[in-house]
Amino acid sequence: MSDDELIERAAEELRRPVRMDPAVDARVMATVHALPRLGAARGGSGWWAWLTQPLTVRFSPLGALGGAMAVLIAAVVLVPRLTPDDGPGGVAMTTALSEAELIAGSDSTHMVQFVFVAPTAHSVSLVGDFNNWEMDATPLSAGPSRSVWTVRLPLANGRHRYAFVVDDSTWAADPSAPPAAGDDFGVPSSVITVAERSS
Amino acid sequence: MTALAAPSDAVLVRRVLAGEVEAYAGLVARYRDRFGRFATQMLGSQEDAEEALQDAFVRGYRALGRCEDPDRFGSWLFRILVNRCRTHGAKRARRERTIVLDEIALKSAGVDGGAEAAAWREAIEWALGKLDEAQREAFLLKYVEDLSYEEMAELTGVGVSALKMRVKRACDRLRVMLREVERV
Repeated sequence: MSDDELIERAAEELRRPVRMDPAVDARVMATVHALPRLGAARGGSGWWAWLTQPLTVRFSPLGALGGAMAVLIAAVVLVPRLTPDDGPGGVAMTTALSEAELIAGSDSTHMVQFVFVAPTAHSVSLVGDFNNWEMDATPLSAGPSRSVWTVRLPLANGRHRYAFVVDDSTWAADPSAPPAAGDDFGVPSSVITVAERSS
Repeated sequence: MTALAAPSDAVLVRRVLAGEVEAYAGLVARYRDRFGRFATQMLGSQEDAEEALQDAFVRGYRALGRCEDPDRFGSWLFRILVNRCRTHGAKRARRERTIVLDEIALKSAGVDGGAEAAAWREAIEWALGKLDEAQREAFLLKYVEDLSYEEMAELTGVGVSALKMRVKRACDRLRVMLREVERV
């Protein structure tokens, strides 16, 4: 092999695609959502204000933070890459990601807000042990842009398994949250822990 | 069956600038892997690469109003990433960290070509990590990102002659190191 061929062979190897952790998307979007919105003042009312009103503290998916946390937040990434074939009706879906926030509630329950970014989805629903995994029980509502889907619901303190279902067909777990052990349904799911509020 | 065409960079940039924050997710998803490759190879660590990548995307968002040509958002953001990799590389040097192999690359090599391919990939990563950062950057931009010297000069702020010299030296060093590996 000549010197040039050696370098070209090395370059060819380095040109192979590298797949980064899709959780990067969620972390970036969580950060930019916290920044002032470009080109528009962030008002004190409306959808965005509703979305961001909770007091939040970073939530470790490892749980076990016990009563030390006043408020919890869990950032989760879902559907790292959906191909056009994944969407029913042939709708092109490239990437979707989501974020869930825990919002202060009572001592025994917390309002939990799930945010799911799926620009080309027609429907998104939340399923988990808290709603008997019923796809119709907890639909997410699309925001004005039809990209961000949200839902809020009260969850009792404790450990909950959950997943998202896109367009009634694609289940998505959260790669940045602990995967649920013992996959009863043969599909991925995640775990979120809701903890007691501290005084 | 209808497939929706993905919006162009310019469309997404304008939507973000109009206040639609979530449109930025489309740009992040579009460039995550492509730019992640450069960051991974520059920094030699997936963890450092993800950090630099996130940093670049967030800085890109903050400065999006200064992206003069939204159709060339990718090139604009890549420049930010190159600078972030330099900064992260400098931090790493101060920490005297050893360049480690890219876990993802090793996994893919193992899957696609078995032990021999994995060993070859490992050798390349090792040799790449032995280059000084300026040479590694120039080599990757030229041979992996396939940029012209003029594009590299615009991106890095370094003159074409100096870039050519860096690429030549990088190639010379890589040849020596890879030949050594071949002999083992």
